Amino acid sequence: MSGVINVRDLAVGARLMLASGAEVEIVSNPRDGVWLFARYLSSPDDPALAGVEEMIFAQDVVQVRPCGEGQRQP
Amino acid sequence: MHGAGGYQPGLVDLASGLVSREIFVNEDIYAQEQQQVFARSWLFVGHESQIPNPGDFFASRMGEESVILCRDRVGAVHVFLNSCRHRGMKVCRYDDGNATVFTCPYHGWSYATDGALVGVPFFREAYHGELDRTKYRLVEVAQLCSYKGTVWANWDAAAPPFLEYLGEFRRFLDLILDGWDGREAQAEVLGGVQKWIIPCNWKFPAENFSGDTYHNISHRSVDLVGAGPSGRSRRDYGELQASRRLHVAIPDRGHQTITYVLPKDHVPQPAYQNSPEVAEYFRHCEEERRRRPNPNSRLIGAPGEIFPNVALLPRQPRTLAVWHPKSAHETEVWRFFFVDRDAPRAVKNFLRDYYIRYSGPAGMTEQDDMENWNYAHAASRGVIARRYPYTYEMGMGHAVENWEWDGYQLPGRVVDLTKAQASEEPMRNLYRRWAQFMEAESWGDLMAWRRNNAQAAE
Repeated sequence: MSGVINVRDLAVGARLMLASGAEVEIVSNPRDGVWLFARYLSSPDDPALAGVEEMIFAQDVVQVRPCGEGQRQP
Repeated sequence: MHGAGGYQPGLVDLASGLVSREIFVNEDIYAQEQQQVFARSWLFVGHESQIPNPGDFFASRMGEESVILCRDRVGAVHVFLNSCRHRGMKVCRYDDGNATVFTCPYHGWSYATDGALVGVPFFREAYHGELDRTKYRLVEVAQLCSYKGTVWANWDAAAPPFLEYLGEFRRFLDLILDGWDGREAQAEVLGGVQKWIIPCNWKFPAENFSGDTYHNISHRSVDLVGAGPSGRSRRDYGELQASRRLHVAIPDRGHQTITYVLPKDHVPQPAYQNSPEVAEYFRHCEEERRRRPNPNSRLIGAPGEIFPNVALLPRQPRTLAVWHPKSAHETEVWRFFFVDRDAPRAVKNFLRDYYIRYSGPAGMTEQDDMENWNYAHAASRGVIARRYPYTYEMGMGHAVENWEWDGYQLPGRVVDLTKAQASEEPMRNLYRRWAQFMEAESWGDLMAWRRNNAQAAE
């Protein structure tokens, strides 16, 4: 396996770590393999982002948090 | 009559009834008409029944351009150029579907279904948050009109509103969009859209559907086979024996059609006898239609053309075709079939079988037509062939205005074909309008009716 995260397979509720160190939770997935709609849970660089919903670019996702409940099983 | 270097006045010479072959085969003229005709005309994009829910989309075309017909999250209908504002990649590569966003697969720019640019990769990091995303929405058409479910769009903000563009031709479009029983706006698209490419200029089919009754000999084999819904001829048109058969051309608009006018108090004729359920359904519809106070109740639709590239066939089969220009020598045809949305399933199934037996790439009648267009185009491309214009002299000077029969009036220039059999009035109307578009600098030069109305008011 390549180890690359396939964002098409991520379900609503999954928690993700971004390259910036921020943690987000998916609120919807258009399943285009490029974008996710997510809410910031924390953001060390910019704490004001907490609670903000934004589109997250696939290349920014570095890890699916183990505690994420919603990740689709292969 | 040469068009070396492009269009020039005189290629369409309606005083003598001659049209140069250059307008069909000259690649410079083709390039010019993309701007002069297709970037300024109202073009058919699709039908609202194809996008019933928020997020639904249908990838369509306007001239050579790919466009997206879609319904946004609050239900509004849009038509966008299908091209990313960053590097031009198509942002929608499916024929139809449902989407939250349209994402460009090249660099990942992403657009909401209302056209807003909502996703720019590395917006904070690479653009430093400085890109004004409001400047880079999907390009939206200048004007859009939803008429009885059909969606029409125009790139030119100076064009008149769609219904003004349509003018008196509206009643003939209504023959497709209203119900068989006369209720307004009952049509839905039946099945998918048939798409195929034919090796001829788009004006060959546009001319044919303008009302070429002269070529009926081409379809003799279909008549002999009996492809019609009751296994006889091409259509069930028993009432035509009592009707007036007409050409109607709307001057200044470039729209024209064949139509039939029934006499007063005409009794519906049997049709669709191969299926008792379908026959009963249409008998009921015809009776209802005659009961409703509608000026169209005495009209029977037949092939016609809305300028520049939309062909209508209101009945048997009931369809719109779009002649998308692909090159001077190629046309991509999209054919939409229609049916009353609340018709019984058995009726829809029966009609679907009949429609595709008649029209489309495998349709028996459309194959006859394509054979003519394809070979006519190929035989007109050579340097010798181009020297000899086509003749459109048939019936010149024999159309009448203020036509009336048995208490029924029609607008435009009318030729009674009941005895004449054929005329080329509709083709002259088409090419007159085409030449006007090719020569006009702006829509201000193309709305003679407004000038005439203003003068009449004075």
